[in-house]
Amino acid sequence: MNPVNALRYHWNVNVLGPAVLRLQRWQAERRPARWDTRYLAPPLRIAPRTKELVARHWLAGRYANGYRKVAWVTSGAPVELLKALDFYVLYPENHAAICGTARLAVDIASEAESAGYSRDLCSYARTDIGAVLSGKTPVGRLPKPDVLFACTNICQTVLFWYRVLAEYFGAPLVLIDTPFVYTEEAAGHAVRYVRRQLEEAVPVLERIAGKRLDERKLREVGLLSKRASELWLEILQRCRHRPAPISVFDQFIQMAPIVEMRGDPETVDFYAALLKEVDERIAAGVGAVKNERKRVLWDNLPIWYRLRYLAEFLARHGVAVVASTYTNAWGELAPLIDPDDLWESMARTYIYPILNRGTGHKLRTMRQMVEEYGLDGAILHSDRSCKPYSIGQMDQRDRLIRELGVPALLLEADHNDYRVFAEEQVATRLAAFVEMLG
Amino acid sequence: MEPDPRSIPSCTETIRAWTARGGGVAAVLPIHYPRALLRAFGLLPVEVWGPPQVDPAPGAAHLQPYVCSIVGNALSFLLKDGLDVADVIIVPHACDSLQGLGSLLLDFVRPRQPVFPLYLPRGRRESDRQFLADECRALYGKLAAITGRAPSEEELLESIRREEEADGLLAELHHRRRALSLTDLAFYRLVRAREYLPAEEFSALARSVLDTPPADPRTGIPVLLSGIVPEPMALLDAINEMGGTVVADDLACCGRRLYPPGVSSDPFRRMAERILDGPPDPTRGSPITERLQHLVRTARETGARGVIFYDVKFCEPELFDLPLLRRGLQEAGLPSVHVEVDLNDPLSGQTLTRIEAFLEMVAGQTEEARR
Repeated sequence: MNPVNALRYHWNVNVLGPAVLRLQRWQAERRPARWDTRYLAPPLRIAPRTKELVARHWLAGRYANGYRKVAWVTSGAPVELLKALDFYVLYPENHAAICGTARLAVDIASEAESAGYSRDLCSYARTDIGAVLSGKTPVGRLPKPDVLFACTNICQTVLFWYRVLAEYFGAPLVLIDTPFVYTEEAAGHAVRYVRRQLEEAVPVLERIAGKRLDERKLREVGLLSKRASELWLEILQRCRHRPAPISVFDQFIQMAPIVEMRGDPETVDFYAALLKEVDERIAAGVGAVKNERKRVLWDNLPIWYRLRYLAEFLARHGVAVVASTYTNAWGELAPLIDPDDLWESMARTYIYPILNRGTGHKLRTMRQMVEEYGLDGAILHSDRSCKPYSIGQMDQRDRLIRELGVPALLLEADHNDYRVFAEEQVATRLAAFVEMLG
Repeated sequence: MEPDPRSIPSCTETIRAWTARGGGVAAVLPIHYPRALLRAFGLLPVEVWGPPQVDPAPGAAHLQPYVCSIVGNALSFLLKDGLDVADVIIVPHACDSLQGLGSLLLDFVRPRQPVFPLYLPRGRRESDRQFLADECRALYGKLAAITGRAPSEEELLESIRREEEADGLLAELHHRRRALSLTDLAFYRLVRAREYLPAEEFSALARSVLDTPPADPRTGIPVLLSGIVPEPMALLDAINEMGGTVVADDLACCGRRLYPPGVSSDPFRRMAERILDGPPDPTRGSPITERLQHLVRTARETGARGVIFYDVKFCEPELFDLPLLRRGLQEAGLPSVHVEVDLNDPLSGQTLTRIEAFLEMVAGQTEEARR
């Protein structure tokens, strides 16, 4: 390790950066809410801390090259292996979501489109490839990967995307292929296959990391990962309370650490604090939507560039979006993680995300949420950029209406590309949906 | 020799003759699957690449418009009773859209036939081979349950050898295509008969074509065709009429399925080897560099002077690789053109104009520029 790089890393990431971020947090805590508090509760007190935590993560990435090994990983990947080997872990999907929220995604994606990448491709992938080609990013600078770590449990798109990244960076691509689970149970040979790939990945990652995997450390990371996921699930489940203390739009913002900092002790502390604040809201009778009349489900990825618009539009009509199949995905598998049988439980945990399971399973999850959260309706975001999440929604919507008698809306949009978001049309459809809710 | 198109039995005729002999039919979606396994159970694999030009409305009730027309048409075709002749539906996993279709069929559409998905691993590691062998073994169990048959290991190997022979002849047809003196349309009708003909019938047909004396190599601007499926097939005649000739392909339904013979004596292992050792294919997880090298090498060997990327709209596996492939080909002196089609659209004037302009550009390219 180059001592200059080490010094630069420590100075910026452990000394100067945190001081600046603490100051920014202090300022943010005193800034008035940016959204309409006539209908929505004031922002969570923890929100500036979330921003600080996430900013610190990206700050560490900015100075990682030359000091720490860097892995770019897919959001559903078994990150515990990388954490235990001290990789700095970067999630291109999260970076793309940050670009989407900041409404920079289209500008950055256009760089990829100019290079020949079709607008029919996933907008996360286009944003990420555009950032690689142009260097444009709202997080300062993205570190180059020493390894690309792709797990197909969220889609096949990530593999096509990471193969492109492998060409641009000349970095090795480690694949964890997770056979799609069409039925309720994954086949035994599929679980064995995932476990074997996890084991085969170790020597490759060890070689890149320049160190041996310490099983004790892996267990510790597994425990932290499990604890953070459990806390996240508890927070989501608090939304069964009426009024729901936080909305799905809050969850979309607060989910960043569980995705990109799973396995870190700070993440456990953060979610423990968030749970405490959520409980305080419940005790004080504070609802995310001030006049919660109706409660609905959100299916699929967020529409990052219109979170506030959607939250305010629905809140104005007393509609609280309180549960989501998407945010639930990072909590529902927590019980499967077993630090005492980590390899087998990792194989099972990472083969079973909702996106790697059949359309019928998703419908059952939605039904269960409708019952457990006392929901009055469902909004299914038909996301042009996410086929595995979206295929099946037309039948799921029909069955929610027919079998559960809840109004369900299929909302056409894209998670990052605002060029396909027809605001007038969305407003008309949402208004009709709200009317159906009664 | 221009073979009499009547000498190639149609898909309908083939199915009729097969079922008249008591055989069953497996409708198989794209792309890779173990033909030999189905045949060992007395099932004739009949592939469903769309098909083109069907009323898309029934499928549109289940699938969003941003799902490709191969998947949309397959569902529409099924809902319009087009697959009624099939005893079982096999859905290999090639992409997110085919994955979704398999799931929809199992969970919501529920056709009268059993639906068996088959997961295709995305690597060529030992773990991938073992998994695919296990996946074939699991499919064996499901087929045994619905047919009441239990083919022996020797019967499976015999079925594999029959398919290997047919694939060997298929590769020979591709290799000698320019000397066969077939139009591109006739050639692709012939090789695509592999999508439904029993292996032994395809082998006899291929032999009859290969046994005819070689003709003078066909002339025309030599190009390589890449994509999923050359539909509408009139495209091929149009290329010939515009002065081009397809000398090689990287099509999912054709050139990417020139499977080499397997080596293992374990039948399931051998089926897996054959599929995973095929030419580079994005749906098998092949690296882009590997695909590029394959395209350049194939072009060099066949004399192709340009590449036509003929893609079905919304096809992610194709679209992700495209920019780097085109850049690499350009650097290798091989120009390319990209066109996107929907299986339900007729061959458009715009598509033809672009291909014609491309062929003119290739024809006008000097030897020096090509180097």
